[in-house]
This record gives sequence, structure tokens and C-alpha cells, in this order.
Amino acid sequence: MHQGSVTCVSWIRRLKNAHLLVVGGEEELVTPGEVLGKASDVKPGRGAYVSPHDNTVYASLTGRRSIVPPSPDSSDQRPTVEVTGHKAHGAVPEPGSVVIARVTKVMARMASADIMCVGPKSVREKFTGIIRQQDVRATEIDKVDMHSSFHPGDIVKALVLSLGDARAYYLSTAKNELGVVSAESSSRCNNGPNQLDRDAVSS
Amino acid sequence: MEYVSPEGLRLDGRRPMEMRQIRAEIGAVAKADGSAVFEMGNTKVIAAVYGPREVQNRSQQLSDQALVRCEYSMANFSTGDRMRRPKGDRRSTEISLVIRQTMEACILTHLMPRSQIDIFLQVLQADGGTRSACINAATLALADAGIPMRDLVTSCSAGYLNSTPLLDLNYVEDSAGGPDVTVGILPKLDKVTLLQMDAKLPMDIFENVMQLAMEGCKAVANYIREVLLENTKTLEYRRGV
Repeated sequence: MHQGSVTCVSWIRRLKNAHLLVVGGEEELVTPGEVLGKASDVKPGRGAYVSPHDNTVYASLTGRRSIVPPSPDSSDQRPTVEVTGHKAHGAVPEPGSVVIARVTKVMARMASADIMCVGPKSVREKFTGIIRQQDVRATEIDKVDMHSSFHPGDIVKALVLSLGDARAYYLSTAKNELGVVSAESSSRCNNGPNQLDRDAVSS
Repeated sequence: MEYVSPEGLRLDGRRPMEMRQIRAEIGAVAKADGSAVFEMGNTKVIAAVYGPREVQNRSQQLSDQALVRCEYSMANFSTGDRMRRPKGDRRSTEISLVIRQTMEACILTHLMPRSQIDIFLQVLQADGGTRSACINAATLALADAGIPMRDLVTSCSAGYLNSTPLLDLNYVEDSAGGPDVTVGILPKLDKVTLLQMDAKLPMDIFENVMQLAMEGCKAVANYIREVLLENTKTLEYRRGV
């Protein structure tokens, strides 16, 4: 009798643990190197990696383990296990994201700008971006005059076109909601940033 | 000189298989992305990690993985005599290289291409085992910075004096001239990332001494894990989670 009840209790505990593991047991704090599951049962997400030697998924960060169920239409029906750490890394511009940048240099065919915010988040270290003459506006792109479009110190809302070359991201202001959002007037009177005579002003 | 008394006690009163008291603290350097202070007995080391950030020297940039840089230096006041050139001497360069290779083996560098991770280690008090304390401090600082790693790297040293394997040598035992084996392992994956020894040992004794050092590493790993979990719980509590 005693033997039977012990195995019954352990079976229930195993069932509960399995339920926790599969449905979303988020109660566990893990450290790097801890086993999160077998590669045949779970997929590694952020903060986890799979070791090819023994096909096991380990944690790579310190934080809470969480299990994301698979999307119903994907071919791979394994849940994804993630570890969310407490350190937030700075934002990094991605192609397609809207950034806020300050113009540093204006040249004949392009303007250089320091990216300060990506979306709503400010960056930890600034990135460099360039706006080429053909990306300033959507119409009459060969007649753009860079010096009347931008001035050093202007704050610009731009779209990241691509990662660009080794030196800078490629930015574009060729949309209605993009372009210079704030600038200092050339007459420097204290009327605030209203005296804009730039061609690239956003609407 | 007698390093192990007939009763089986060492010079500081420890048993041969006993480690010194360890203490760790996370977040000592607020400006760094991750930092830690690690003490093993009287040896005290501070580690600061900056990264991943943009590579400062473009020519060293690696297109498929992160560049790991490590600098080990001893403070002027860390040893009994005030040192004149604590940085740039051969021993510091060698230890910097060794620690860099150890940490690079465990950081998942392929996740952060074209970026740089800097590990700065400063020995505040040196009483033997500075290399091991530095590796343990660097592991804690990297975990605090949220840099993805395969596993924690922990390190411990062991020696062989008066025909007894001794765990965690202090400065006096280290300067005795006997063999000193430093081991660095990935405890959960059970892999060795660092193995260094001065002097000579017969093979069978070496295996015992290395096994002892690995046991010490595992004990350090358990402590480091507890410290990390405690730190995460405190941070969550402060954030109101």
C-alpha cells in the first residue's frame, strides 16, 4: 500500500513538472550552462544555444526561462525556450527602422548624420549615417541642392535603407513624414526653431 | 620548511583539501556594462567588462565574430613591496593572453560579429591564485553584462608540497617552489579550458592534483551560480516584477 501511494505521488509530480515545462513554467531562474532541454524537444531562442555534440539546449544568459509555444502553421512543432536577461542592450539601427539623427556634415552630394535614437529608444553609442543626394526626396532627385536641404546641427527623422558600407548606414528622407524636424534659424533670433527655410522640411 | 604539519594543518590553519573563503560582489563599477569583485582568501580582484561595442581599431575587426580583448594589471599596492611597473611586464602580458583565450573559448562570439568585448582585470590584493581569481571575476562580470556564454568558466589552483596535494595555494605556499597547477573548466559541460603548471610532477600525482583543482573549480561554480541568482532576484525585486 505504502509503495503504491509513493509511486502514485511521484507520478503526479512528474506529470505536473511535464505540464510546467511544456505549457510555460516561467518560474525558473537559470545561469549560463544550465540544461534547458533536449534539442529534439525544444528549439533554442534568445539566450539559449544548442550544443551539437550532445544535442542539448543550454542557457547562455542569466535570467528567467520562458517557453514560447510554436505557431500553429509552422512545420516545426517544437516549443522555443528563451532566457530573458536583466541587462538591456542599446538599440541598433535595422534596415526599415525610423531613426532620429543630427546632421554633422553637408557635402555636395551627401550629408553625414549621427544617429541618436532608433524608434523610441536612444542608443548607447552613436552610429553614423549618410543621406545621399538621391535619397533626400522622392521627386526631382537630380535637382536636389544639399546645402539648402540640410545644415549642420539639424535634427532629421530618417528611414534606414541598409547597413551601408563599413563607415555608415544609408538613410533616406524621401517620404512625407521624414526629413528635418528641428533646426536653428540662420538669423539666430530667439523665436525658437520656427524659421525654417529648408527644402527637406517634414510636413 | 614545513608546509603541512604532522597533524595535517597548513600554514594558515587549513586542511589540505580546503579552499580559502570566497566572496563575490556584482556591479561594483557602475559605468561598466558588467563588473564584479572576487575574493579568494586575501586575494582580491576587480573585473570590468565593456561590450559588445563598436571596434575601436578598424583593422582588427572580425567580420564573423566578436573581438575579445583582455588586460590584466596589478595595482601598485597589491603586493608587499610597492611595484614600479605593474602593467606591460612579461608576466602581465602572459596572464592577459591566457585569460583572453580562456574567456574567448566560452563566449558565443559568433552572435556579435564586428564588435568588441573588453575585459579589464585589476588585482587589488595579491596573495597567490591571482590568475584563478581573475578568471572567476571575469566570468561574473561577463554574466552581469549579459554577454551570452556557453557556460561559466571557473578556475582554481592546486599544488603538491610535503607529499600532499594542496588545494588553493596562497602566496607563501606558491613561492615554496613546488608545482602549481592552475585549472579552468566549464563546470556543467565538464570541459577544461585552461591547464597550466610550473615545475614538474610525475604523471600519477599530476592526475590527483588536477582532479583536486577541478573539484575546487566546481565548488567555486556553485558559489558563483548562487551569487548570480541572488543578484537577479534583487534586480527583479527592485524593478517591481
